Amino acid sequence: MASGAPELSADARLPLAGVRVLDLTMVWAGPVGTRFLADMGAEVIKVECARAWDQLRSLHFLGGDTERWWDKSAYFNHNNRNKYACTLNLKTARGRELALRLVAGSDLVFENYRADVIGTFGLDYDDLRAVKPDIILVSMPSHGKSGPEADHVAYGTNVEQLSGLASLSGYPGLGPHKSAIAYGDPNAGTLAAAAALAALHHRRRTGEGQHIEVAQWEAMIPNIGEFVLGYGMTGGQPESIANRHISRAQGVYACAPEGDAADAWVAVSVGSDDAFAALCRTIGRPELARDERFADVVSRHHHHDALDEIIGAWTAGRTHRDAAAALQAAGVAAAPVLRIPELMADEHLQARGFWESVTHAIAGTWEMEGVVWRLGRTPGHVRVPPPCYAEHNGWVLHDLLGLDDAAVAALERDGIISSAPDLRIHA
Amino acid sequence: MNSHHDGTARGPLAHLRVLDLTSDVAGPWCTKLLADYGADVIKVERPRTGDPSRAHGAFPGGVPHREKSALYLWLNTSKRSVTLDVATATGRAMLLALAVRCDAVVHDWRPSEAARLRLRYGDFAPGHEAVVVTSVTAFGQGGPYAEWQAPPIVALAAGGQHYMAGDPDREPLQSAGYQALYQAGANAFGATLAALWAVAATGAGQAVEVAAMEAQAAVLELFLPDYAYRKSQALSKRRGNFASAAVGIYPAADGYIGIHAMPKNWPQLLEAMDAGWMADDERFVDNRARLRHDDELSAELYNWAASVTKREAYERAGETRAPIAPVNTIGDLLQSEHLRARGFFRELDHPFAGRLTYPGAPARMPATPAAPSRAPMLGEHNVEVYGELLGLAPADLVRLAAAGVV
Repeated sequence: MASGAPELSADARLPLAGVRVLDLTMVWAGPVGTRFLADMGAEVIKVECARAWDQLRSLHFLGGDTERWWDKSAYFNHNNRNKYACTLNLKTARGRELALRLVAGSDLVFENYRADVIGTFGLDYDDLRAVKPDIILVSMPSHGKSGPEADHVAYGTNVEQLSGLASLSGYPGLGPHKSAIAYGDPNAGTLAAAAALAALHHRRRTGEGQHIEVAQWEAMIPNIGEFVLGYGMTGGQPESIANRHISRAQGVYACAPEGDAADAWVAVSVGSDDAFAALCRTIGRPELARDERFADVVSRHHHHDALDEIIGAWTAGRTHRDAAAALQAAGVAAAPVLRIPELMADEHLQARGFWESVTHAIAGTWEMEGVVWRLGRTPGHVRVPPPCYAEHNGWVLHDLLGLDDAAVAALERDGIISSAPDLRIHA
Repeated sequence: MNSHHDGTARGPLAHLRVLDLTSDVAGPWCTKLLADYGADVIKVERPRTGDPSRAHGAFPGGVPHREKSALYLWLNTSKRSVTLDVATATGRAMLLALAVRCDAVVHDWRPSEAARLRLRYGDFAPGHEAVVVTSVTAFGQGGPYAEWQAPPIVALAAGGQHYMAGDPDREPLQSAGYQALYQAGANAFGATLAALWAVAATGAGQAVEVAAMEAQAAVLELFLPDYAYRKSQALSKRRGNFASAAVGIYPAADGYIGIHAMPKNWPQLLEAMDAGWMADDERFVDNRARLRHDDELSAELYNWAASVTKREAYERAGETRAPIAPVNTIGDLLQSEHLRARGFFRELDHPFAGRLTYPGAPARMPATPAAPSRAPMLGEHNVEVYGELLGLAPADLVRLAAAGVV
């Protein structure tokens, strides 16, 4: 297919080697989705322009006077590694024409604009199909491209609110609660990447492309599917049980501080009488296994608060790691509730080589998460550092589109391409 | 009954057959996605009890019944169920014979479990070089925690998302259901398809591994990237329902609404609130000023939210294109005009559980529409699958049943 990008450490063994993705997505849902494909070896070309650059570049926390902060945002850089970046103003006729020439050489196009936006660029599925009949377009609007609310906008937190998950979650009696992250984004991104692969499989057998629609709201609802079915059975919405479980006796218990981390917790979960006896021995209270308050699954639930106090009294004298290790050694399910610094230093992920070092021309060297889809024979890695704004304009315009220097200069003069973002956007 | 049986399946994966050795949530979500998108998924269940999710519920009327559990019914649509005791020599031999007829095998065993059963990748691949063997577990197939007991809350606690959820002055909070496991399952679905894509080009399969811990750690929003890069812990703390006043959940007149206004959404938020005066107020004039006056902005948003219903706020959001959403209950969802107009929910009949409403697919693929079918009853497809794929006669199945193998 294409000649490789200049610094492309192309690994022809990677499963998606030879697959090109034109990536019109911004923020998180789309970029985290195309990152999965980039990690698997696809050649992902990200398109921005001076007045429509990725908002994640603005979430850098480095101070506004930092030189080229837009190339140093870790949030952007983690989600766009293994990709290339160019600029094209899609609102211009020339920008659209060049984008369509890239489409003609691509297998997949991803966009996560609001439902009506891509059409205003003249880049609807039919426009793409006219230049590449078997193109696969993946659209990821929050509410979908049809229906009375198609023009609504939502971020990942809103998607979680719309989906029902927030209303089901929370400390008992205290109202809804969000999850840790803008969950709607990576959820839709993961499923969109997988759906794109499903469409590639179909295209290989039939020659047929298609327009995939991942409405982020709809993509989130299956994650609470059992509650939807349960509603049909019981006619009601269950109260949140937070850290508890319908059957297991479990909770999250405060532990002794470790270093500067006063906020330390361990999760403990007991699913059988044997495990409960093991828990009792481990915490030095073997007699509790015969205590009628805790004798069986049902009793343990009826006296869950008392049990929590007993477990908490033991964990309070230990670090979360020591508590979890002692319990696991005895056959009791437990894990430290890892803080982010602990997660990055964690011996399990270190032993698995999960963190990978990346060196970036502007942002320097640091460690980021590795590849989640671990393929044993053809493992993916961080091969290409995250792209600076407009970094691959030359490769895309000269090598892929065959433009000469004069043509590229004209594009710059006419504002079709640019070498720096307009900083008034996202201010 | 089963779409694979009557030949109507046309999903994008209709060419694939998958042997599903998983239970509970993570593996079944992966294989449900494969099945709902057209693959012929053969779910292998333990004789007599089946997948433990059959005992999970919810149940109609609260009465347990292995064919009526909401968790099982949801996560096993479009699959065929066979029973098999894989711990017996006969059962293991049958399993390996089934695997030869499949493109992929998905399991959720810890390394020692796979070793004990002698069902590791290396046991499937000889004679079937193209097979993809995907494992989806909490901790993966190697590393110090690989043998840990790992119920859902353990998988969540280790992944970093547990600590970051909840109020700063309270314990970390687990979201409803099994979110760590759904994330792992979705990743296993994608990873399996990536490996199968390579098989078509090279003929070579491989072992694929997804660990819930890694799946979660890889999507810790801006929190982990910021720590990884700046080594500042400023963002590595729980912040309850609020990132700032403009990003949070507020009580409305009849429930709750969520607001997520990034700097570029500020004009739309003011329009939705009908609060044009705030644009000229120096406390709120730009993002920096708003962060300095976060408490005052919060007070304005509390007051406005309390004055509107969820529906009113959402209608205003639609008119002004402000990122405001109702905190929907399940009841709200099922009554959503938008989802109804899009035909998202579908109803499926089940001989025991009756007619229930099911969420639709996470991604719409119009060129390859699929029609998910109800979850199977325990061992429903023994005769069909063992006859079709292994050439066993009904009399052979009687022998196997008498021996406790199926």
